[in-house]
Amino acid sequence: MEEQPGLSDQYRMSSPWPVFVALGLALSEIGVFIGLFPVAVFGLILFGGSVAGILTESGYATRPWPTLVGIGVLLAVLAALVAVLQLPTSAFTLANVGEGPLFTRLVAVVVAGAVMVAMGGAGSVAEQTKV
Amino acid sequence: MAAGDLVLTGLMAVLLVGIAALLTRIENWRSYTPLAGGGTATGETVVHREKPAGIVRWLTTVDHKDIGLLYGVYAVIAFAVGGIMAMLIRLQLVTPGGALLGANAYNSILTSHGITMLFLFGTPIIAAFANYFIPLLIGADDMAFPRINAIAFWLLPPAALLIWAGFFLAPVTENMIEPAQTAWTMYTPLSVEQTNPGVDLMLLGLHLSGVAATMGAINFIATVFTERAEEVTWANLDIFSWTILTQSALILFAFPLLGSAIVMLLLDRNLATTFFAVEGGGPLLWQHLFWFFGHPEVYILVLPPMGLVSLILPKFAGRKLFGFKFVVYSTLAIGVLSFGVWAHHMFSTGMDPRLRASFMAVSLAIAIPSAVKTFNWITTMWNGRLRLTSPMLFCIGFISNFIIGGVTGVFLAAIPVDLVLHDTYYVVGHFHYIVMGAIGFAAFAGIYYWFPVFTGRMYQRTLGKAHFWLSMIGTNVTFFAMLALGYLGMPRRYATYQFDGAIAPLAQVQTYHLLATVGAVLLFVGQLIFVWNVVQSWLEGPKVEDGDPWDLERDGMLDREFQWFDRKLETAVTDGGEDEEQSALTGARSDD
Ligand code: HEM
Ligand SMILES: [Cu+2]
Repeated sequence: MEEQPGLSDQYRMSSPWPVFVALGLALSEIGVFIGLFPVAVFGLILFGGSVAGILTESGYATRPWPTLVGIGVLLAVLAALVAVLQLPTSAFTLANVGEGPLFTRLVAVVVAGAVMVAMGGAGSVAEQTKV
Repeated sequence: MAAGDLVLTGLMAVLLVGIAALLTRIENWRSYTPLAGGGTATGETVVHREKPAGIVRWLTTVDHKDIGLLYGVYAVIAFAVGGIMAMLIRLQLVTPGGALLGANAYNSILTSHGITMLFLFGTPIIAAFANYFIPLLIGADDMAFPRINAIAFWLLPPAALLIWAGFFLAPVTENMIEPAQTAWTMYTPLSVEQTNPGVDLMLLGLHLSGVAATMGAINFIATVFTERAEEVTWANLDIFSWTILTQSALILFAFPLLGSAIVMLLLDRNLATTFFAVEGGGPLLWQHLFWFFGHPEVYILVLPPMGLVSLILPKFAGRKLFGFKFVVYSTLAIGVLSFGVWAHHMFSTGMDPRLRASFMAVSLAIAIPSAVKTFNWITTMWNGRLRLTSPMLFCIGFISNFIIGGVTGVFLAAIPVDLVLHDTYYVVGHFHYIVMGAIGFAAFAGIYYWFPVFTGRMYQRTLGKAHFWLSMIGTNVTFFAMLALGYLGMPRRYATYQFDGAIAPLAQVQTYHLLATVGAVLLFVGQLIFVWNVVQSWLEGPKVEDGDPWDLERDGMLDREFQWFDRKLETAVTDGGEDEEQSALTGARSDD
């Protein structure tokens, strides 16, 4: 076996994930509410990724990728829904990114969701071709 | 702005890549065996330790005892920060013109003091005891959800940074981002009109701390319901677990509401919604939502300390808790009633007088279960064999202070009295008798009582007593002076008090402010002794060799946590050596 055991296999009472779940949530909230685009995107990705990781680690999911895709889809759909319900169609322009306060925030969430879907997809494809 | 965004993007990208790299280094994502129950049978990777060494251990631990200690350290640091803020407030008020701060600085410090003490000290110090001791008291291996437990704790450091963010950012942003000056109640329209982004940061920090409290509450409810050892039934569940269970239920109903109200406030501030605007929900909506959370919050903070006192007091009175059942019932009664009194914070807002009267009735009624507890504690000590150890002294101090705090609360609950005393120092005196005099004291009682369990050492008894007497005298001097200030008509939350003699007799007001500050200095010195005692005893105190350091066996009151401690000491002795202590302890359990 060339596989090294990970931290949470070696030690029954530790897990690297909780710190990052917390950090991810904190950064997401700052990013989305204060309106800092990059912080929102990266915070949400960190949060989604860590949730996928911790669920896998504790055995609630066998692989992290479907969870990641699921969270991504959920976020993107929610943000899109809010946008459609709350904004006039005229607000949906590329120029409005960075201008309209609500629109910019929602775009950040959609982007984060899309990145998560892409990461999850790429991850599972890579894994299936390797094994 | 574009450059700033670019820097931020770069920073975030580096952070994410760094984290991903770190995680791949320390964690093998392929090796997960679902629900790994213990060692993997792969020869050389025998599991003989449960945690890595050094700082990584503390960052990755999901052990309830470690998390309890983390909460404890966090709370004590917050207590120190909040305490220094309190000293600044008291020093400022020795002269009518204000001795050291400008009005804005005063408001910032006042706001942060309140929020720090309630959300960063009060809730976490209770969580510290609950995390460490609930599983031990109910005979559980750990919390029901150890990882959620860790997540809840790790939300708190970012919460503190956000709540204090204005203080760090004001100097570097040329006061573009300042600390919030909303007071802890964040009343609208003031809190909507302060455009300072520091307010947003503080609100986010509060929100995170609320998420953390809610996660913790769910965990405690699940733990008490599902993880009890077979011999622990509802009938013999200890009193501390009962209060934590009730507290968790209150958190479950109160904190999500605070969270939602905060989000609404953030939206009003940033996205021009009108939840609390005159043309929308109206500014009073905030007060209703806030106090619907806020009053249960005060019981969230006081019920577990009452549980600690109910648990510890009998141990040093040599008698079982008098009327155990009624103490449990009164806990549950307080839990229910606490949701029906919130508008006693709003008597003077011009709300409907009939509604007001009903809130007065329920507020007076809630004093009954509180009094039941008080009489039970007193009766427990009656004819008991009292041993005045530090934890016992703090329990007795708790009862004394709680009586004054409670009785002043009943006065305030009477509408005509409240209309006179509302927004004066009387209110400040009332709740500090409870938050400092009762909640703080119970926390100290718990720390001294269980010091041998979580450190393996004994604290210095003389210093413990000095800490008690300075705290007891300091609390009563400071907060009794505040009650008097309230009667004199001194309004709360002012940076200066150079007012017209027709409002209040200035000379007396200044004297009582001075007295309050003297009391605060006594309190402060007491807390310095406390910190010194804890740190020094933890490092160098005499090792406890007996699993029953309080001689509880004699009265048949050795609870499960001390039995656990006794087993731990014994296994450590048979195995020998400091280093093996950890593995010896858990070795027996790791293959279940
Ligand atoms: C015997 C039960 C109690 C009663 C009847 C009571 C009554 C009251 C009333 C009527 C007020 C409003 C005063 C005003 O602003 O005009 C008040 C304020 C307050 N009480 Fe109590 N109280 C009780 C117990 C407690 C407890 C146990 C705590 C803390 C754990 C507490 C903490 C507070 C706080 C923090 C405030 C001030 C809120 C603010 O305006 O900033 N009270 N209390
Ligand atoms: Cu209240």
